[in-house]
Amino acid sequence: MTPDLLIQSTIIGLSIGSIYILMALGLTLMFGMMHIINFAHGAIYMLGAFAIYYIFSQWGVPYFAAFVLAMLLLGTFGYLVERSIYRPIKGGIEPTLVALLALTTFLQAAGYPVFGQLDKHVPPVFQGTRNVLGVMISVERLMIIPMAGALVVGLYLFINKTKMGAAMRAIEQDKEAAALQGVNVHVVNGLAFAIGFALAAASGALMAPIFKLDPMMGEQPLLKAFIIIILGGLGSIPGAILGGLMLGLIDSIVATALGAEPAFLLSFVFIILLLLFKPTGLFGYAPP
Amino acid sequence: MNPWRSVTWTTLLAAAVLMPGSPGTAVAADIIKFGISTPLSGPAAPWGIPHKNATELIFDEINGQGGLEIGGKKYKLEVVAYDHKYVIAEGVATVNRLIAKDGVKYISVLGGAVVKANEEPVNENGVLNLPLAYAEGLVSPKNPLTFHSFPSPPETTTFWKWIKEHQPQIKRVATISPNDDTGWWSIKVETAFVEKLGYQMAGKEFFERSMTDFNPVLLRILAQKPDIISVLASPAGSVGLIIKQARELGFKGRFIHIGQVDTSVVANIAGKANVEGMWVHGYVQSPLPEKVKSWQARYTKKYGEWNATSIDFTNPAFAFVAAVKKAQSLDPKKIGEAMRTVEFDNLWGKAHFGGKDYYGVGNQIIYPMPFSEVKDGVATLVVQLSPPHN
Repeated sequence: MTPDLLIQSTIIGLSIGSIYILMALGLTLMFGMMHIINFAHGAIYMLGAFAIYYIFSQWGVPYFAAFVLAMLLLGTFGYLVERSIYRPIKGGIEPTLVALLALTTFLQAAGYPVFGQLDKHVPPVFQGTRNVLGVMISVERLMIIPMAGALVVGLYLFINKTKMGAAMRAIEQDKEAAALQGVNVHVVNGLAFAIGFALAAASGALMAPIFKLDPMMGEQPLLKAFIIIILGGLGSIPGAILGGLMLGLIDSIVATALGAEPAFLLSFVFIILLLLFKPTGLFGYAPP
Repeated sequence: MNPWRSVTWTTLLAAAVLMPGSPGTAVAADIIKFGISTPLSGPAAPWGIPHKNATELIFDEINGQGGLEIGGKKYKLEVVAYDHKYVIAEGVATVNRLIAKDGVKYISVLGGAVVKANEEPVNENGVLNLPLAYAEGLVSPKNPLTFHSFPSPPETTTFWKWIKEHQPQIKRVATISPNDDTGWWSIKVETAFVEKLGYQMAGKEFFERSMTDFNPVLLRILAQKPDIISVLASPAGSVGLIIKQARELGFKGRFIHIGQVDTSVVANIAGKANVEGMWVHGYVQSPLPEKVKSWQARYTKKYGEWNATSIDFTNPAFAFVAAVKKAQSLDPKKIGEAMRTVEFDNLWGKAHFGGKDYYGVGNQIIYPMPFSEVKDGVATLVVQLSPPHN
């Protein structure tokens, strides 16, 4: 591999990794707090992309406003899912898992009659290419990195610097003790659903102008997000960030050097080896 | 009379009348069911939807004339279509359903991997299949009732000769194709042909059909500095992303798809300027011969939106109707025998099934194939070529 190719594939890997991080953050946040695996995350990614298609591409709302709207819409949907599915089930892990799987199937199946059978495309928001360290990179790809970075920083500040974030951390550590201290667990869980869904929607909204849109488009990112949270440690936000970056770089650099198939295999081999030596992932911890 | 007994008898009577094949259903016996298993959703839907629509439209027109006459009796033609989403398991399930549940004896399946997976049920049940698919060994003596109704790579690669004559500056060829039966065979045939013509193969990559980020694959290919990239067997959605991402990485050369692809769908994704100069088989927007213009008007009238892919996807219906007329029988074997000798009109001229010298069986459709170049965003016909074998 030439140095140019290495630079190009590294930048592309960082861009892909940024999207992976956003996907994995929502997933790991929900797992950390409620110990549920949100199978609907891929479908929400898809809805985020279609929200951009309609709000930005069809109704002409400026991209950044459409992006925020998509996050708000899907965030609200997340809150409603918590109220109407998670809360009535009383937080049962298995029933919630099955209910979220059912939600995924419903959203994907409904996608074809609602959005149409043909792939949709969102026009580019950031046109052209830029010369970065002597190699050509599309501006669209480059812009993903700061936008995803801003969301990650925002989430970090929210969790670590706000009262609601402290409540989230308290629930993550001990739900009963947090409730005894006056934390409204239902409201905070609802917020976690809203943030998780909004982050998945943000990933979809960022990718919409780059890829094509179809109701099944969330399956691949969901698989990647699962790999990342296992790699980084279930429930760990720093783990999701590091895992997302590592997987993005593997996907790009190894696929460029050896081909897409070896890169896909290598990501799994890497996880198996890591779990052999550190079964809780990079930053995970075993429950007491 | 006990009211429950009355209800029971009425229900039984209704079931007897409605049950397919029951003595009371004279109308059902006058219908010829033609099964279609095709992707009506997902990335390959731009192929599947016109496949179904084209067949239905031709059958509607024949039904409008009173139906298809066999042995002095008129039969109505009916399409029974299922969506297989270009997923092999779905393809097998839909074909089994067509054969076992719907009792269909004539089918048209789209997609090489799907058709290959269905070889056994099709052959064992003596079903006549008119697929639109690329796969090695599909046209073969072991599939006697499979009549491939679209030009395959062994036919369409002949366009590379035309390129050699008209664009001699093109020397280095790279290919990118789906990682399945369809892609492997297409690239194998194309590579052998272009190497024989003296081109240098500058890269050969395969991708999973679910792939959307082609950057790593394209970086590998572009490092070999190709003059042209062939995206043979790739669906329109994937081709659009490949072209868009290749242009972003600085590729200035041409693209070619000698399978079939809707360049307007490709341009929607890749951007009109990025598709300029692309060569494509089986997709023409201008100039259209009168016969095709008339088809366009009829298609648009029925379905609202024109789809040029439908032009060549009329072949299964045209071939089936012509062979049934010649055979004057509903027996798939007799229709198959007629298929090998019948000459019929498709939208590009005279067509027949042949290619015995190449495939060992004359079950490949042969007709003057159209090739286009995208000029100012329009797929413009540049030449019609006959396959190298007849």
